[in-house]
Formats: sequence, C-alpha cells, structure tokens
Amino acid sequence: MKKALVFVAAVAGMTALSTGVQAQDCTTKIGAALPTSVDWGRPIAEVAQFAVDQVNEAGGAAGCSIEMVLRDTQVDPKVGVDAAKALVDLEGVKVLLGAVSSGVSMPILSSVTVPSGVMQMSCCSSSTAFTKLAEEGKTDGLWFRTFATTAVQSAMGAKVAADKGWKSVAVLYKNDDWGQDMAKLIAADFAAAGVEVTASVAINDGQPSYRAEVTEALGSQPEALYLALYPTEGTSAVREWLSLGGTQNMILANSLKSDEFRDNVGLQYLGSALGTDTASPRVESANAFKAAYTAKFGSEPNGPGLANSYDATMIALLAMEAAGSDASGADIAAAVAKVTDPSGKPVAADTAGFTAAKATLSEGGTVMYQGATGNVRFDANGDVSAPAVVWKFTDSGTEEVEYLSLSDVDAYIASLK
Amino acid sequence: MIGVISYLVFFATVAAILGIAVLGLNLQWGNTGLFNGGVVASFGAGAYGTLILGGTPQEGHLGGFELFYPLALLGGMAFSGVLAWVVGKLTLRLRHDYLAIATFGVAVAFENVMRNATSVTGGAQGIRGFERPLRDFLGSGFAYNLVFLIAVVVVLAGVYVFLERLTVSPFGRLLRAIREDETAARSLGKAPDKLRLTAFVTGSVIIGLAGGLYSTFYAFVSPQDVLPILTFQIWAMLIVGGAGNNKGAMAGAFLIWGAWTFSGWALSRFAPIEAQLYTGSIQFVLIGMVIVGMLLWRPQGLFPERLVVSQPGGGSREKTQAEGLT
Repeated sequence: MKKALVFVAAVAGMTALSTGVQAQDCTTKIGAALPTSVDWGRPIAEVAQFAVDQVNEAGGAAGCSIEMVLRDTQVDPKVGVDAAKALVDLEGVKVLLGAVSSGVSMPILSSVTVPSGVMQMSCCSSSTAFTKLAEEGKTDGLWFRTFATTAVQSAMGAKVAADKGWKSVAVLYKNDDWGQDMAKLIAADFAAAGVEVTASVAINDGQPSYRAEVTEALGSQPEALYLALYPTEGTSAVREWLSLGGTQNMILANSLKSDEFRDNVGLQYLGSALGTDTASPRVESANAFKAAYTAKFGSEPNGPGLANSYDATMIALLAMEAAGSDASGADIAAAVAKVTDPSGKPVAADTAGFTAAKATLSEGGTVMYQGATGNVRFDANGDVSAPAVVWKFTDSGTEEVEYLSLSDVDAYIASLK
Repeated sequence: MIGVISYLVFFATVAAILGIAVLGLNLQWGNTGLFNGGVVASFGAGAYGTLILGGTPQEGHLGGFELFYPLALLGGMAFSGVLAWVVGKLTLRLRHDYLAIATFGVAVAFENVMRNATSVTGGAQGIRGFERPLRDFLGSGFAYNLVFLIAVVVVLAGVYVFLERLTVSPFGRLLRAIREDETAARSLGKAPDKLRLTAFVTGSVIIGLAGGLYSTFYAFVSPQDVLPILTFQIWAMLIVGGAGNNKGAMAGAFLIWGAWTFSGWALSRFAPIEAQLYTGSIQFVLIGMVIVGMLLWRPQGLFPERLVVSQPGGGSREKTQAEGLT
C-alpha cells in the first residue's frame, strides 16, 4: 500500500514536472506560401519547416509552439494570392513567409498582406520593384526579404572580372525579373570596373536548346562569361557554350551554387569558374546552420534560396518572440529591428541561439541575429545587405576563394558608383 | 467567422472574374465553334491595357496616363478587341485544331513580348503603381473587397444577360449554324468569315474585360499572370460547366476555381505533416482527376447546351443535345 502511494506520488510529480517543461499548450500558426510543386521550391519549404522545428525545440516563440501552415503557390499568382488570403483569413496567421517569385509576392503584398496588416517575409523575391514600392510608403513597413544578393552579387561579379584581368565579358541571364535586374546591374557594374560587356543575352526557361543564344554570346568573342541562370537552364547553356568552344572563364551567380549544376556540367570544365554569393559573418556560431543542415538532410545546403529561406523563417520567429503574445502583424514587423540590431547581443542560427535570444529579449535587450546568409540587417525598405564571398566548385561542394566583410562590400559598391 | 466571410468574398471575386472570361470563351467555342487556344492573350491584353492607361507614372516604361477608371477599363477591352481582330484576320481561316495551335502560338508570343518589351510593359517586373478606384473612399480592407465583389457580379450578370439575348437572337442562331455546318450556312447566303470574326472579337473583348478587372483587383500584372496555364484553367471551367450553356460556363468557373483552391486548403489542413511538402504535386493530380473524370462520365458538362428550335407560329420547343438534335 505504501509502495503504491509512493508510486502514485512519483507519477503525479513527474506529470507535474513534464507539464512544467512543456510550458506551453497553445499553438501559434504562421503561414507559408511557397512553390512546393516545383523542384527547386520544395527544399525552400523544407528548410523553413526545419527552422520552425528548431524553434519549437527551444520551446516555441512568444509562449506558444509554432505550426507552419504550408500552401503551394504553383508559381501562379492567382493561386498564390488565394493561398495567402486563405492563410490570413481562415488560419489567422500574422506572419506570412513567401512567396519565391516576385510576380507572386507582389500581388500578395498589395492585395492581401498590406490590407490585412500581416507581416510578409520573403526568402527569395529579388525584384527592385519592391524597393520602389517601399520607398513610396506602400508596404506599411510590413515587407521584408532576406534575398540580399542582387546588388551585392553584381558588384562582386564585376570585382571578380576586374581582379582576374578579364577585359570583356558576355552575359547570359535568366529571362525573369531577377535575371533582368541582374543583367541591368551587372552591365553598369562591369562598365564602372572597366570591363566591356560584349553581349547580354536572355535565356528563356524550358527550351530544349540554347544554341542560338549561346552562339550570339560567343560571336562577340568575350574573354569570360557571366551566368545569372538557374541550374537547369545553366547546365544546358554551359554545355552548349563549352561544346562550341567557349572559354572556361566563367563567373557564376549564387543561383548556380548547386551540386546538380556541378555534376551535370562536369567539374573538369569548371576549373576556372568563380562564383559569388553573400556570406556568413566570420564568427564561430555562423557555421551552425551549415552543420545543422548537413546533419539533418545529409548534404550541404547548396541550392537557390535555402539559406535565405532559413533566415527569413528565423527572423520572423525571433520577431514574434520579441513582439510577445497576441502581437499584430505590424507589431511583429516593428520588432524585426530588435532582433537584427547591430549593437545587440549576437545569437547563432540554431536552437541554442534561439534560446539565448529569448533570454535576452525577456530582459528587454536586443539581439543581433547571425544567420545563414550573414549578419542580416534590414534597411528602411526591408532590403538587406550582407558580406560576400567568392567561391569555386570542389569535389564535395564549394570552397571559399575570397571573403569580403560587410564594410569591404559597401566600400567596393561605393567605389563603383 | 468574419475571416471565413472575408475569404469567401475574395474567392468569389476571383471566381466571378474568371466566370466572365469563361462566358467570353463560351461565345467563341460553345456557340461558334472557334477553338481559341490563346485565351490568355485576350485576358492579358485587357489586363495590361487597363493598368497602362489607368496607372500612375512609373520610371522605365510606358504608362501612367492615370485615366478615369472606366475609361481605362474600356481601353483595355479595346486593346483586347484590336488584338483579336488582327489575330482573327490572320488565323480564322483555320479550322479546329489548326486554329487552336495558331492562337496558342499567339498567346505564347504575347507573353514573350510582355516579358521582353521592357520599355512598354515593364518586362518581367510587370506593371505596378495602379491606384484601385475608390480606394481613398473605402479603404483597403473588407469593405473594399465587398464593394469590388458586388461590382464584379453586376458586370458578370450584365455579360450573362447580353450573351443570353445574343444567343436566342437571329445572330445567335447564325453562329450555331456556322458551328454545325458552315457550307450549309454559306449556301443560305450568309457570310461565315465575317460572322466568325465578329464572334471572335466579341468573345475576346469580354475576356479582355475579365483581364482588366483581374489586374484592377490585384493592382498588378506581370508576365507570370499570362502563362498558358490560365488558358487551360478557363478551358477546364468551360468543359466542366458545359460548353454552349452560359449558366454552365459560370458554374464551371466557380466549381473549378473552387476545386483548385479548396484542394490546396484541404490538403494543408488534413494531410499528415510528412506529406505536407508534397501536397502541391498531389493537388495537381487531384485537379487532373476531376477534369478527366468529367470528360469520361459527363462530357457534355454539368449543364449541357439546350438547343431552342424555332417553331412556326412563334412558339419554341427545347431539346437537349442528348435527344439527338445536333
């Protein structure tokens, strides 16, 4: 009898303890509208869910565990906007992650998130139109994106060409908003760096052959080739380029930082190819993302938008934590500054980092999130700048060739102006 | 609860706009038998036309005329009509699948022009900076969406009444005569080429009206809005609803768009967490199955065409196609 009583007491005690550890019984939903039916869109959603899982391990945000409701945009603006509207109205989310394509993010922003006062954080929308919209004051401060790369990358591309002494470059760019922006920016940056752009050719998606486009670029006899393409089209175009006797001097945008591209083109042809990307800051904690990702998915995070998607999710959740429970979308958007404060306490991008951030924020302090794409810091328009890295392909992935800190990047961009 | 209503208003607006486009296609295919594979070109012409005429000035591309909204919308429709007239002149000699291929090509060309003619259409970035009419007055929240829905439904009803009257008129009979047997119609002294062009342009103007309303609702249009998938969606709506029946066309729009969006919502809510990443692909399979199932078991659509036979003495008798009156 005594034993039984002790047992009951022990069980009761353990139950009490375990509920104490769980701390929260509530669930807060966040929305994600991402193109999961597209091959490169699924990993972006996967890594966002990964960030949510890490935060839940740290006990959730703003006192509740987080559930990410994921909807597919099908890269169709109508479908994406409808999904976003359903997330906001039916699921009651205050934070929306997405979309990827600017052509989907823009109508979501103008017809769903801004009218409903929901914060929208995109990993990958790159169009310069968002900056203009924010400058006109039409985003109500609700729009953020972690895709830092257009201006930084084009400047780095020009730097690579100048450092290597390549005097003339042909540009192949993806014929979408990102590619058109890149082509425009890189042309200006090359000109400023004293490199001649001999041809600038648009590459449309899904063509069986790019011979005509490649021949046009080749005909201008450049010393090097600049590629602002995605892996699938990049592979086809580079294969044709090389088979027609084009130079192996190539500068690659970060979208080509992909194992698929390296394997399909062949490493032996990529010996003098240099890529550009934004980079993590040089602190120990910054490797956390890479290590955690490799442990979880079994490969390095190579692929367009993965690091950006992770940071978008983490910052959104940190901001939710900083804004506290029952915060509105505008409150959360305002709290983003508290978690990306350059003078705040640095926190790493993982479970431990989130736990540390929670402690600091609860004492009323601010934190500096050191994410997978670097010390993310948003300007007034929700745009980010970041340190940069020049990389090349290796057997197992990519290797860094040169690192430029945020101030180096800013100084170089200023020198081009 | 207010969230559900707010979402339903939003959903109904998009469905009603698509319904207008389906009515336009029904005039072309259901009544006249023109296999228009380039619906999206007319839709896009209306959308781009409206935003270019009615938007605020933007750096780097044409537009920003800030016309009074109804004029901008009419301008978009006119643009759509002019495009259809040119395309019709060139391609309407073709029949059936050849016409479909030619018009599909026009639609793809249209998308590519929009994507590349940066100085006119803003290129891949699309056109933004459009101020939605009455926004200052109504704000941008639920009230605005509700008023917009009412306006769209009024337009939809107007187009429906117009087409219903058109199809029972002698002109409507003539269209069906051409659809069924062009040679016979010609032998009666009718001019099929002219009539086909009239029907094609009229249908395209209606589709252009839908496009104009669509871009107004989102205050944005980009080449991503005019991809061939939209042509497919509108066709699916017409086939499922019932070609040749205006009520069917509208019902098809609501049903297919409902299935398209509801399947995504249901999957996100009920699919197990491990399967969440694949719901996008599953959704495509489900939508495909609905359409294939309809074609297999109810090829005439939910609301089959009702043919009206004029009787001597002014009375009329209705027969469905199933009774063998084709």
